[in-house]
Amino acid sequence: MAATLCVKVLPKQGWLPLIQTVRHGSKAVTRHRRPMHILKQKLMAVTEYIPPARVIPPGAYPPQSKQVQEDSAFMVVMKRNLKNVFQHSKMVAVVQNNASNAEDMMMLKHRLHKHGISVKFFPNQVVRSFIKDGLFSNMAPLFIGPTVLFVSEEPKVKEMLSTLRASPQMTLLGACIDNALLSAQGVVSYSKLPSVSVVQGELVSGLTMLTSHTASLLQRHPAHLSALLQQYVKQQSSEGAPKAEEAT
Amino acid sequence: MAAPSKATVVLKAVKKIAVQFCPFESNVRSTREFLAMVGSERARSTNMNCEVISVVRHDQSAPVVDITYLDGDKLVLKGAKLTSSEMLNAFQSLCTAKDLQAKIAAKK
Repeated sequence: MAATLCVKVLPKQGWLPLIQTVRHGSKAVTRHRRPMHILKQKLMAVTEYIPPARVIPPGAYPPQSKQVQEDSAFMVVMKRNLKNVFQHSKMVAVVQNNASNAEDMMMLKHRLHKHGISVKFFPNQVVRSFIKDGLFSNMAPLFIGPTVLFVSEEPKVKEMLSTLRASPQMTLLGACIDNALLSAQGVVSYSKLPSVSVVQGELVSGLTMLTSHTASLLQRHPAHLSALLQQYVKQQSSEGAPKAEEAT
Repeated sequence: MAAPSKATVVLKAVKKIAVQFCPFESNVRSTREFLAMVGSERARSTNMNCEVISVVRHDQSAPVVDITYLDGDKLVLKGAKLTSSEMLNAFQSLCTAKDLQAKIAAKK
């Protein structure tokens, strides 16, 4: 509106206008660059910012203080969940799924839920930053690409393996069972192990083999035992005699 | 890193893709990404007969992708020093070449 009421040639930037209107001059805040008063121009020219001369070009050396980014609130929540998951579960398996439909995932989740295994999704970045300073730091290279966590309280490996064999896209990368990091082959061999009670029974029987042998010997007829002892004495004397001959 | 020319991978001339890697090594990222892109739904929907098999070893061996084509040719990609886009480009160029050959043979 000021331009229509007062005829003036808008000068180039930095020049004072030839005709200065008094009545309908522009306001302080305009859409065009309002020409400054000469004194203000001079002041602005004198007080221009001169950056300090850099001896070292920027980016030549790495920064002195490392930029540590704080975790966002969502990440804090996810880390808490992860911590709970690792604390409460004996078995944590890492599986890569190349592509599965929603229905495939649903079937898998249903089958695993019957055995008490839950399927968890966490972003790789969160998992890596959580894992790197902890017990499971060696699991960090597993978490690349689309990964899923199979988590359960009881280490039910056989059922998990059979379910995974049914879906071809899932690839078992590794598992952490009872704070022991296992590879895929380790998991398979773990599943083939007999149960704890069977192993304990085998160990006990192996240790008590000698004593049970002696007990069975004593339980037989004493004549048998005396015959055995006489044979043993003969053997000892026959061994003693050749040794004495060799010595002399 | 330039993305491959097409988003999807066309597996028309491929019979079998066998990927073998050791996840605890540090040089498997490209192989795993290649597997993820090749084994995706869209890629597999182009050819339902093509099998994508992945084997996980723990013997510190180098990651290897073994591709068998329908006409018996084999392509071996050693992913230890390759990026996933390079592997994809090589694979796709061979696939398109085979496709062209098959089309020409079909026309005759």
